Amino acid sequence: MHRTRLLLAAAAVVLFGFLGFARPAAAEGELSHPVEECIKQLEEANSIDVDCQKAPNPLVPETNELIWGFVGFAIVFGALAWKGLPAMKTAMNARTERIRSDLDAAEAQRTEASAILAEYQTQLADARNESARIIEEARQAADEVKQTLTAKAQADIAELRARATADIESAKAQAIADLRGEVATLAIGAAEQVVERNLDRDTQVALVDAYIDQVGANR
Amino acid sequence: MLALEFPPLSHIVNWPGFVGEGEIWEINKVVVIYGFAVLFTLLLFWLGGRKKELVPTGAQNLAEIAVEFIEDGIVMDTMGKEGLKYTPYLMSLFFFIFFTNIFEVIPFFQMPASARIALPLLLALLSYVIYHGAGFKSHGLGYFKHALVPPGVPVFLLPLVMLIEFVSKFLVQPFSHTVRLFANLLAGHILLVTFAVLTSGLVVAKWYAIFAPLPLIGVIFFTAFEVFVSFLQAYVFTLLTGVYINAAQSHEH
Repeated sequence: MHRTRLLLAAAAVVLFGFLGFARPAAAEGELSHPVEECIKQLEEANSIDVDCQKAPNPLVPETNELIWGFVGFAIVFGALAWKGLPAMKTAMNARTERIRSDLDAAEAQRTEASAILAEYQTQLADARNESARIIEEARQAADEVKQTLTAKAQADIAELRARATADIESAKAQAIADLRGEVATLAIGAAEQVVERNLDRDTQVALVDAYIDQVGANR
Repeated sequence: MLALEFPPLSHIVNWPGFVGEGEIWEINKVVVIYGFAVLFTLLLFWLGGRKKELVPTGAQNLAEIAVEFIEDGIVMDTMGKEGLKYTPYLMSLFFFIFFTNIFEVIPFFQMPASARIALPLLLALLSYVIYHGAGFKSHGLGYFKHALVPPGVPVFLLPLVMLIEFVSKFLVQPFSHTVRLFANLLAGHILLVTFAVLTSGLVVAKWYAIFAPLPLIGVIFFTAFEVFVSFLQAYVFTLLTGVYINAAQSHEH
């Protein structure tokens, strides 16, 4: 693309060069009138010192060019000073001001966003701390409940165990008492039958108790 | 009138009037170029100021770049903020000179109006009045002392230095301001005409035509170079005007 543009530009320059500087039609035999006249004068005078060859002094300004130059410059200056430049400057200053205000607004929004972000981060940290605290409290409460329940269970177990022991002991004592009475009766009866003599009751009871104690000690 | 009708070399910048010949309001090719320079300048600022897009494009972009170039590159560099009031004048100078110069390379015109002394002289004299006016406005009659007596000059040398300064600032300065623009553009124009005459001469000179491409390359190269010269001389003339105004109104030596 760049190469094509370059070639086109070069072609345009060459074309303009030819158009601009091509030898005029006059050079091919059809000289324009002033040039033809001048050539005639040069040929006739056989010298280059002829009127048509005299150039105007380049250091003397032409009045008409001074006047028109002043008019042209005055128009340019007037138009630029009155309208062109102020309009451009107003537009450029307005743009500068707008860009500056946009930048200020963006900076303010950025600052606000930073503050909001910091606030959110603080709130998030607080929420995390709060949740950690709640979890810790819940864990502690659960531990306490667990310990309470464990202690209560252990107490219940101990109570049940004590009650059961007491019941067992009571049943045992009752059973022993019952057994003792029954065995005494049976033993007395049996003894009476064996020795066929009546022992007084106290002696018999003492014998039976001694036997039972012995039996109980052996168990 | 057209460059196609090749004038004798001695008449290279002599364009006869085609309306009102001999009158003081005579219109010749140079005056037509002035007219186009006015038109182009106004067109640029009209197109540039018409659209007020936030992101400038086309003519608006070009006009804004030009305004910033004159303001930052000339006014602020030479005079600082105090010189901003001269921006319209300097901007008019730059564009008017540039557009009259650029006709050097515009086909069928191919004549910079500044290659005639009238325009450079007119603008140099206008600038002369403005910068000395700025000096008198800033210093009053003390401007003569400001302009003619450099600080630290021994008293016995003062007459000589004052004479040199007077000749330099009040007599030669406008002349050098004029001639710098005029001579550069005239020289460029003569250079282009010389190469063009050589090319066209070779084209019709039978077997010599094989050498025609050589001066033609010169024509193409110097055409491009003259675009640069047109810009540069407009810039230099405007910059010097800024420098002269600043030197005249400045309170420092």
